[in-house]
Parts: sequence; C-alpha cells; structure tokens
Amino acid sequence: MRIAVGTEKGGYLVTETGDSWSVAGPMFPGWKVTAFGRTAGGTHLAAVGSNWFGVGIHRSDNLTAWSPTDTPPSWSKESGRKMEEIWTFHTDGDRILAAVAQAGLFTSDDDGDTWSAVEGLNEHRTRDDWHPGFGGLCAHRILTGADRIWVGISAVGVFRSDDGGKTWSSKNDGVPPVGVPADVPRPEVGYCVHGLAHDPESPQRIWRQDHAGMFRSRDGGDTWERIESGLPSGFGFVIWRDDNSGRLFTIPLTSDENRVPVDGELRAYVSDDDGDSWLVSGSGWSEAPQYTGVLRGAFDGDNQGRFCFGTTGGKLWLTDDNGSAWQQLEASFPRIDAVRLLR
Amino acid sequence: MTVKVRLPRILTQAVRDGLRHEVTGDDVGQVLHGLFEKEPGVRNHLIDEDGRIRTHVLVFVDGERAGLSTPVPDGVEVQVLQAVSGG
Repeated sequence: MRIAVGTEKGGYLVTETGDSWSVAGPMFPGWKVTAFGRTAGGTHLAAVGSNWFGVGIHRSDNLTAWSPTDTPPSWSKESGRKMEEIWTFHTDGDRILAAVAQAGLFTSDDDGDTWSAVEGLNEHRTRDDWHPGFGGLCAHRILTGADRIWVGISAVGVFRSDDGGKTWSSKNDGVPPVGVPADVPRPEVGYCVHGLAHDPESPQRIWRQDHAGMFRSRDGGDTWERIESGLPSGFGFVIWRDDNSGRLFTIPLTSDENRVPVDGELRAYVSDDDGDSWLVSGSGWSEAPQYTGVLRGAFDGDNQGRFCFGTTGGKLWLTDDNGSAWQQLEASFPRIDAVRLLR
Repeated sequence: MTVKVRLPRILTQAVRDGLRHEVTGDDVGQVLHGLFEKEPGVRNHLIDEDGRIRTHVLVFVDGERAGLSTPVPDGVEVQVLQAVSGG
C-alpha cells in the first residue's frame, strides 16, 4: 500500500514495505499540500498553496519528480476574487475538474495545463448571497455521473447541473440551512455541505455529510433525508463510499463548536445498509483519548478493501481488510489535509 | 538594463531553471516580466489577481524595498523574499 499525504507543511509518501512502513518526503517543503488527483492517463496531480505565494499545481508520472504547471486556475481581476486554495480534483473521462476557494469550479481538458472557469456556477445568480463559513468560501466536493455534475460549496450548499455545467440549481431540500431561524422561509442558498459521495452505478443515490447532520438522497439531490441512526453525532466532514461493497464510512465529530471525536473516541463508523444504520468500523482503535479531527479530503479508499485517513493531529490510520482491523502508524505528520491511497 | 534576479528557496519547485536569473528591464515590472518569460510558472506566485506584487511578497532592488515601478540600475540585484508574516 502506498499513500500520498498532504499536510500543512509539505507532502509525504508513505509506503508499506513488508511488515513496516517507510516515509519519504517532504515533497513541496514549506507548501501546504491541499489535494491529490490523477488524470485519465495516469499522471499524478498535486495542488499546493501558500499564504505568501498563492496556489500551484504540480504533475508527476512517478510521485518523485514533479513539474509545475504554468497556469493553475485563477480568477480574473474583474471578478474581485482571490484564488486561495485548490480543494479537490475530480477526473471525469479526459476532463479534470477542480473545486477551489474562493468558491468556484474550473475544468481542464489538457491534463491540468490550462483551466477554464465554469461560468454557469461561478457567476450563478445567487452568488451575491454566498457567504463564507469557518473554512472560507470554498467549493470542495465534485461528483459526476449520468451526464450530471454536483458541486458542494461550504455555507452555500449543493448545486447540480444537468446540462454539462451550463446551468446550475440549488439542491438542498430537506437539509436545514445554517444560521437561519426556523420560522424564516427556506433560502435558496446557505446550506453547509461538508462531504458528498454517490453510487457511480446509480448516481441519483447520494450521501451527504453536512454541517447539519448526515443525509441521503435517492433522487439526485432533489430531496434529502436524515440518516444518523447509530452515530454518536451527526457532525463531521467525511463521507466515503466503497464502490465495490457499497459500504459507507464516516468519522463523527462532536459538534460545530467542538470539532473533536465524541468523548475523545476517534472511530470510523460504517453503514452496510445505505446509511439506515451505523456502527463502529472494526477494531484497533486507540483506548487513549484522541482529541483530533479528520477533514473532508483526508479519507480515501481503493475499492479493494483498503482505506486510510489522516487527522488534524498528524496521524495516519489505515485498514486493508475492509475496515475490520485498523492501525495507526507511528509516524507523525503536520496537520493532514489530504490523503490519496495510490492504486 | 541587465540585472540579476534571485528568488526565495521555497520557489524551488516552481521553477525549471533555478532560482537565479539574468534578465533585462528598466524597472521592477519589466524585470519580473522578463523573469516570467523564462519561468512562466513563477508569475502566479509573485503577482496577484489585481496585477500587483502579492501582499506578503517583498522585492528589493540593491537592498532597498521596491515596487513594480521602481527603476533598476544596470547590474544590480533584484531579490524576491517571503515576508515575515505571522507569528
């Protein structure tokens, strides 16, 4: 197993060698490594960022030698926006999509060399009502399937396009908005999606870790229902679906204002019934308190029973038996923003 | 004017041909333009969306803090530094 780990200070390559693990790095020393991706042709992508020097995208065929691209996604001067971070890559055939902060969606048809803004979403008529959450005004999750695109934007909500990105609609019915009194009419935007996963064989089935709890849609996001039976808390950032088994994973945190595991018990939870019920995933969890968090980009799996996640405390957890036995690596890293289990 | 440009070490992976370059230009803006022709991947890291030097990037000409319109005498060194921002 090999895992690319993106942290606040550089990237690392963690490799299983027999009964032990080796750590190579840092890649991009001094840079925040915010996302990993892979093109249809197999080229690896790494998004980096710096409070001083902005964002960048690097490419590699071997995860060792990286080359910078010259023109990462950028906002025009006229937009008045700043390119603060590349939150995720998503590969859809020969096209790569990138979700960014300040919130927007960009696409590349040349393996990440050049990028085009998806104007239909980025200049959506509701844009003036998009306001940043705690993590900034960021687009961070992308799903594609059945000629549709879904994008999650923190403190704004889920948008869906049914026409290849030309037009977009808010898809949040059933999810409570954030910071809005119950007696106020539901706004079109103001929903704080944290994570999204779907069934690629049946893309209308979507799972959503939201600021307001865990939700599921059976109709492509038109309506959502709460699914938290067995979870110690509905709050968290991670939702992951193993496409081979259909098993869902999440890592609950206590609450909005207390983003650590409930009672310090860091556990992945799984559902084998599409989210109807949840229980702790396997064993191996630390009995010692683990007051740390897990971010939305810091969980990955390979659809072959192997999963890993990184914590804000810089620890890496993994399993190679579909979540039955978990182990924490001894190595410590800076705050982990992104992991990529290399297939 | 021909001047030397020195970039900070953190940009090592953003360049193709090293952190030191010799370029021509009459002011800092022209010098950076010449640098970006040699190292196009650096532009995004030094210049913001408004076309200005990034807030936390410092440019010095012969040891003096400079802006895009600062003249550059022949033979001087233009040094780009990461500002000491934060704790």
